Amino acid sequence: MIIKVNNLVKRYGDLVALDHLSLEVKEGEVFGLLGPNGSGKTTAINCILSLLKYDKGEIEIFGRPMAPDAYDIKRDIGIIMQNVAVFDELTVYENIDYFCGLYVPDKGERKKLVESAIDFVGLNDFRKFYPKKLSGGLLRRLNIACGIAHRPKLIILDEPTVAVDPQSRNKILEGIERLNREGATVVYTSHYMEEVEQICTRIMILDKGRMIADGTKEELKAMITLGEKITVETFSFSKENLADLKKLPNIVSAEYRDHLLVVKSGKGQNNLETVLDFLKKNGVTFGKIYSELPTLNDVFLEITGKQLRD
Amino acid sequence: MFLHIFKARLKCLIRDRQMMFWTLLFPLILATFFNMALGNLNNTEAFHPIDIAVADNAQYRENQQFRSVLKEVSEGDDRIFNLTETDPQNAEKLLADGKIKAYVTVNSKVGMTVRESGLSQNIVRAFLNSYSQTSSAVTSIVRENPASLRNGLIKEVSDRKEYTKEVSGSSAEPNNVLNYFYSLIAMSCLYGGFWGLKEVADVQADLSTRAARVNVAPVHKLKVFLYNMCAAILLHFSEMLVLLAYLYFGLKIDFGLKTALVLLTTFAGSILGVSLGAFVSALVKKGEGVKVAVLLAVTMTGSFLAGMMVQEIKYAVAQNAPILSYLNPVNLLTDAFYSLYYYDVMTRYGWNMAMIGAYALLFCTGTYFIIRRQKYASL
Amino acid sequence: MPVFRLCMKIIRKNLSSMMIYIAVFLILATLLSLNGTKTQETGFSQVKTNIAFFSEENSPLIDGFRSELSKTANFVEVPDETEKLQDALYFRSVTYIIRIPKGFTQSFMSGKNVQIEKTVVPNSTSNAYVDLTVNQYFNTAALYVKTVPGITQENLVQHLKTDLENSTSVAMAADTKANANQDFSVYYFNYLSYALSSVLVLGISAIMLVFNDKNLSRRNFCSPLSAGKINAQFILANLVFTFVCWAVMVGFCFLFDYRNMMIGNTAYLILNSFVFTLSMSSISFLIGNLMKERSAISAVCNVVTLGPCFISGVFVPQELLSPTVLKIASFTPTYWYVKTNNQIASLSSFSLSALSPIYCNMIIEAGFAVAFFAVSMVVGKKKRMSN
Repeated sequence: MIIKVNNLVKRYGDLVALDHLSLEVKEGEVFGLLGPNGSGKTTAINCILSLLKYDKGEIEIFGRPMAPDAYDIKRDIGIIMQNVAVFDELTVYENIDYFCGLYVPDKGERKKLVESAIDFVGLNDFRKFYPKKLSGGLLRRLNIACGIAHRPKLIILDEPTVAVDPQSRNKILEGIERLNREGATVVYTSHYMEEVEQICTRIMILDKGRMIADGTKEELKAMITLGEKITVETFSFSKENLADLKKLPNIVSAEYRDHLLVVKSGKGQNNLETVLDFLKKNGVTFGKIYSELPTLNDVFLEITGKQLRD
Repeated sequence: MFLHIFKARLKCLIRDRQMMFWTLLFPLILATFFNMALGNLNNTEAFHPIDIAVADNAQYRENQQFRSVLKEVSEGDDRIFNLTETDPQNAEKLLADGKIKAYVTVNSKVGMTVRESGLSQNIVRAFLNSYSQTSSAVTSIVRENPASLRNGLIKEVSDRKEYTKEVSGSSAEPNNVLNYFYSLIAMSCLYGGFWGLKEVADVQADLSTRAARVNVAPVHKLKVFLYNMCAAILLHFSEMLVLLAYLYFGLKIDFGLKTALVLLTTFAGSILGVSLGAFVSALVKKGEGVKVAVLLAVTMTGSFLAGMMVQEIKYAVAQNAPILSYLNPVNLLTDAFYSLYYYDVMTRYGWNMAMIGAYALLFCTGTYFIIRRQKYASL
Repeated sequence: MPVFRLCMKIIRKNLSSMMIYIAVFLILATLLSLNGTKTQETGFSQVKTNIAFFSEENSPLIDGFRSELSKTANFVEVPDETEKLQDALYFRSVTYIIRIPKGFTQSFMSGKNVQIEKTVVPNSTSNAYVDLTVNQYFNTAALYVKTVPGITQENLVQHLKTDLENSTSVAMAADTKANANQDFSVYYFNYLSYALSSVLVLGISAIMLVFNDKNLSRRNFCSPLSAGKINAQFILANLVFTFVCWAVMVGFCFLFDYRNMMIGNTAYLILNSFVFTLSMSSISFLIGNLMKERSAISAVCNVVTLGPCFISGVFVPQELLSPTVLKIASFTPTYWYVKTNNQIASLSSFSLSALSPIYCNMIIEAGFAVAFFAVSMVVGKKKRMSN
């Protein structure tokens, strides 16, 4: 077990930031910690890293209890903070070298590691740049390079893609997958469901400091009743039609608004066919039609009754 | 590990242009201004022969005795007056134009005309007084002992002696411009507090994200802090050496003969400054602006009381509230330089240095106890 | 007037740093006014220097000397310890320390050549002054001792007292002095230049920084307001700010020195300060145009305001500055401002001939205003083109 958190409680005054949180991260996983802003993701990470005091609970990393002076544990952790944490006065190369040097004292070995980290994030053309001269996306990449240059076994990324352009984001996500393939265990927090869906092998959903769901994305989606969402663009759909549609088997709900008909059906086969048959039978002409499988947002919505992104 | 952190830190500090301005360039600029403004101060205090005129009339010409005395003190290197003999109208004009301080008129009595009452005018008057006073003495002596006229009274009159003998109070001159520069060095030393401020901010995870990243690395936080402080103190001491060199070689400011101790004092001042900043940063749990404000308030109040703006303040504080002058870190440093320059005994210097050491120790241990915890209540 | 309102908002945001300068200025002005204005002296006054007097013996001769010395010197109590005496001398609490050695009187009365010990600030003027008094006393006394055999100390002192009462009459040349004490207001107006220029540089450069921001100025010029209108509002805002600063600073003078407010000299001081304010505001305008970073404001502000004040006689009076420094200073408006203030203070008549040099200086100050404004226009235009 790479990380084991048991019954973690963290209070800020009256506010309970983490409410008896337990989690386990296994070797080789890409573990996603998903939740809206303020759900306790960063707090959990900071507790795991022993930066924050907590009120209750146990934290083990690599099977050993974590503490501020557990340097043999810290040596194998790489952390990428939510906010860019680099020195404005040092260049790209110097920043990576500095942070790497806190882990790897040997100069020769470090040089190789720094070079490969620069390669890894694609900052080769910018090694002599100062952080102030980098664009948002490049700065994020530097932030990541600073965290992973020493080849940690466990990499913790706290929302590394906030305010990043799509190109840089893809590059970052690809990189994380590559690191994972090369053997690192990854903990990844985000409030972007798509990212988590894309790269995480296991996902935990947090809300108000509590774990509300945990599993692979298939497991999570299986937890909810929604099977399929069918959207139809049509200009002639009457109230009677809607009432009739709702009576069909395996239809959970149907809504018609702004020329869009949204039909949610339960799990099972042939849902799209049922709807198409109904439209043809009632002579409803339609433009586009498409069907979607449930997303993590739907999972979140169903469990908490609110949107993940607000 | 030490070298790695130390070198990177030094780069970090040197490239902070704003800080470098305040800790290095600003003191140099201020020193230049001080020198321009105060350079002439000793010169204006020094005695220069006073420009006077005498209204040349018949009575003046007749009074041979007065004339020769006046001429005698207006000649040679140690003369009191630069004398112009001219007609009354011109004398009046010279006075109105500010070319002379006073002009002397000889009628039935000797008199003088001035535009304002100052030290120079009073010296002219004291001299003229001495002439009439001596005449009066001669009159009364002759009345009392007429024989004296034959026994060389007149010779005695002209045989004036020097009744004072200068005893040096110290091996150094009381050149009171120096204190301004000493307090400037002291202020600059305490400006090192800006470095200390930065050091604490970059190692406390609740103050900056960079620090959080350092905190999760497998190196003891206080070790990093200690190495960083070494870099800050070394840099600041170097800056102070530049300032010192500029003052000594560039502006010819006198520091006395105890060079090694002057350097030691500067080094102690650098440590004092940087540790003060670290202490303020650790102690004040507010934003960076507030910390800077506190640091500046301490430094500027201290500098004011140490006489950087008006040097008499330093003396007034020492006279009326001696405790305050021993508690004010800026004054301690200023006074240490002053003692080195001016005193022949080292007691007061020793006390100053002891207090500086005590302060540095207090700031360092205080900082240690505040920042030694490694987990934070909130970030 | 959206642009105008924005400017005012920027000023308000930067008010706290400006208040520091105003507060320090007001504290100083208060201290100065508490110090009290000296009573006006019309005749010639005796200047006294501060000395420390130690005598290791007592005799009528020494007593007489002491009382004679008190005409030209104030005796300051200083503890007879080396360091305390050194301190007193260094900080000019006293400029002359007299020590009369034991056995001085006896030796003197027997006609021997004796001297008293003095520790002084070397080569100082006050040193020469005290020396004159000391030597006069003992030379006159020696005259008696040598020529009147067997004279007693009491008798001698009696003679000396009468002789030394003789003094020269001093006439004060007419038409020289101002008719009221202007010490406070001159100092107030001179120091005002420091506080005022700091506040102006801070405020105006803060506005300029916002308006010279590339994106912001482009957005401004995309708005339906014409460029002329934007500039007009912008300049108006700067002028209003300048005027308010000046009015506030000068206004405080009414509080401190209301007695002197109604005389003509003060009116000219106010006029002079207004012209100076204009020149400082155009310098601030230039600085604002040259400034690139917000963080540089306080650095530039300090150097630009402290420098001229040091070399132009705000902190150290002009008569104490060396001619070279004054020559350099004459390239700043501050120099002309301070010089004019000092001239105004000594005005006793307001005839055209008396006023002409003052008007002349004010024209020079106004010239600075025009020159700096012109330069800043050129710089500003260049900057916009290069963007």
